[in-house]
Amino acid sequence: MPDAGRSRRTETEPHEERAGLLSRVRRPGRYVGGEFNVRRKPAGEPLVVLSYPDVYEIGVSNPALQILYCHLNDATPAAAERAYCPWPDMADLMRAQRVPLWTLETGRPVREAALWGFTLPHELTFTNILEMLDLAGVPLHAAERGEDDPIVLGGGPAVANPLPMAAFFDAFFVGEAEGRLCELVDAVAAGTRAARLRALARVPGVWVTALPPDGPVARQVFAGFSGSSPVTRPLVPLLEAVHDRVVLEVARGCTAGCRFCQAGMWYRPVRERPVETIVAAADEALRQTGCDEVSLMSLSSCDYGGIEEAVRRIRELRPGLRVSLPSLRVDSAAVSLARMGNEHRGSVTLAPEAGRQRLRDAINKRVADGMLTDAATATFRGGFTGLKLYFMIGLPGEDDDDVRAIAALTNATQGVARSIAGGRARVSAAVSAFVPKAATPFQWERFAGEEEVARRQRLLRDVWPRGVKLSMHDARAAVVEARLALGGEELAALVEGAWRRGARFDGWSEHFSLERWELAAAEAGLDLRNADVSAAFGELSGLSSSTLLPWERVIDPLVDRGFLLAERERAGEATTTADCRLGDCSACGVCRPGVTMDLVI
Amino acid sequence: MTWLLLHFERRGAARYLSHLDTARALQRTFARAGLQLALSQGMRPKPRLSLGLPLPVGVAGLDELAVAELAADQTSRAHEILAKLKMAAAEGLAPLAVEMSDKRLRLEPVAAQYKCLVPADVGALTAAAAEYALADAAPVERVSPKGRRTVDLKRYVAQVRVEPAAEGAALLFSVRHRADGAARPDEVVRELVRRAGGEDAVPLVTRLNVVYDGLPVGASGRESERT
Repeated sequence: MPDAGRSRRTETEPHEERAGLLSRVRRPGRYVGGEFNVRRKPAGEPLVVLSYPDVYEIGVSNPALQILYCHLNDATPAAAERAYCPWPDMADLMRAQRVPLWTLETGRPVREAALWGFTLPHELTFTNILEMLDLAGVPLHAAERGEDDPIVLGGGPAVANPLPMAAFFDAFFVGEAEGRLCELVDAVAAGTRAARLRALARVPGVWVTALPPDGPVARQVFAGFSGSSPVTRPLVPLLEAVHDRVVLEVARGCTAGCRFCQAGMWYRPVRERPVETIVAAADEALRQTGCDEVSLMSLSSCDYGGIEEAVRRIRELRPGLRVSLPSLRVDSAAVSLARMGNEHRGSVTLAPEAGRQRLRDAINKRVADGMLTDAATATFRGGFTGLKLYFMIGLPGEDDDDVRAIAALTNATQGVARSIAGGRARVSAAVSAFVPKAATPFQWERFAGEEEVARRQRLLRDVWPRGVKLSMHDARAAVVEARLALGGEELAALVEGAWRRGARFDGWSEHFSLERWELAAAEAGLDLRNADVSAAFGELSGLSSSTLLPWERVIDPLVDRGFLLAERERAGEATTTADCRLGDCSACGVCRPGVTMDLVI
Repeated sequence: MTWLLLHFERRGAARYLSHLDTARALQRTFARAGLQLALSQGMRPKPRLSLGLPLPVGVAGLDELAVAELAADQTSRAHEILAKLKMAAAEGLAPLAVEMSDKRLRLEPVAAQYKCLVPADVGALTAAAAEYALADAAPVERVSPKGRRTVDLKRYVAQVRVEPAAEGAALLFSVRHRADGAARPDEVVRELVRRAGGEDAVPLVTRLNVVYDGLPVGASGRESERT
């Protein structure tokens, strides 16, 4: 068992000296670790700190960080410890008392790490990264760091365009790092900082920001994915978690080809794990976590070739066990729900994304009009009592009728729900604002703008069906997200300026203030609403592909630029592209020797 | 029906858990140990596990109690259950002893003993404790989400013992639990420190044990493995 042989005295009390801080903040359990399956390697070298730049409850369950944490501790000589972004009450107190950011595992200052890895989940966490660097006492700018400072490395999906954060990072890892952890650990063992950075630059997938790249850095694909096991001994927080279940990654990548979706482009090709691996991992993970629910995770779980067998065999492991699929597709939901049996509580989430067929075709969301009705019928017949719908507004080519159609589609779904489940049925919808992201066919598109998004939101509210809960993305936060998503290196001044004015936790509406960003933009001489890359957009208006977008000079997402441009063109024509897992290669350019689709069946 | 009484300690990182989080973490310890708890009746069955007197967030407990009912087919050998729980426990929530019972035990707290190290002068604290012992009342103001009210600490804590400790002094006291509630340990410590003219600080309190109605206190007759 994992906890045998620990020496309690040194290991349970690393945070005693910070009692004065901990007793004055909300939820002090955020700052002390002590989770089930926590790893401690006080003698491990080098010290690597892993961070998710949001509050503990959000960060602790992040599957990517769980993978890196377990692999680094269990399979390399390094000691991997963690730090999350302190909530403002704690951050302010730490500054007042001059206590630097510490690791949860041993309470050591984060500054002592040789390598400090951040995952960059999305743009609205960027100011939290500066907040954490500052709280740790690490110079904000990579150029100002000295021999004793950690090497600050960024990873995660937002590295598709790392330029706005490049000044603050010593290096970025582009893509999936599982296969390169030993090389990364070895590289940071070199004698001087300069030697460490040179060694890092030699690791495939690493862009060292201070060194001129030979060319765009190729995204790394973990070729051993299918042959590897999911994490079976994950951290299980003692604080109430967002989700209390075993998460098993059954497949990586998705080739459904939704044209707005960064993950769908970024994690290609599709790789699946054998059912045998999944069932064995489920058995072990259930033992290690004490959970009574298993979630089979991937970008599109019901596409997983072994789904039926995996669900059946995992159910057989324990009586009463629940198996959930977090990402159902509208087109196959009815079938998937039928497979899952008839013993449910809770709710199902489906993402039609757009209200009308033509627009769904344009974004390559291959959902026909009747499919949502079928899926809703299956949901409520299957015993679920809730259905949540995801939509976007502000998509390229969207008109007001498309927006109204979201309400009409929701209303029809509500009708289906009521007719089957009566008053118990709950239908809700979340409508976000479309933000174009790097490395997608829509990277050449524009964000609709705050006023336009707000106008369409009002339009939607005016025709919204009674009795259906509607939640909408803050159009003001989307302004910042959109600017950073397609920005260049000059945006470092904007991020820093906003943070210096108090921006942090921008993804939390109670902490977000657009005014800080506007002031920072004015000070930096930047237009917050109109991207400077508009020059590049202008030249591309005729789809001449000669001008590279800023991030294309440093990051190679493996997806072929010609494919992205062609997909954008097909979007304009509302022509769909088939999922290549069904046999028709769409020539996205990702597959190559050593990087191929890997399916169970 | 197999009821069991679990003695456990809560310290280190776990001292910062809420009462609810503590209960959930113990529940998970049983699950990780492969010990199935009986489920309650009703629409949403919950494992039958309840804790005694809640430990405030930030307070460590050296001998806390939980009562659980095991599912019908589970082992009823105390030492086996204890061994399994120890293997499965989170590091700050260590199981100390298990006692079996053939009836459901109700945990009605009567009193609780606390200890707190304070970095203040032993002499001044001793004088303050003497003054406190003689006082008729010791009203303090309690602020809660429900509002402000005055609590007389003397109704719950008759006296406080002061002992010299490595860096300052240790305060030891017993809080009586009455129908109208009890004093909070940090209120008692702050009051003593205030009377001694010390600086107000948030004390690091440890609960030594809790006296429950009808139950023996402490380690009598049970397997204790504290080191």
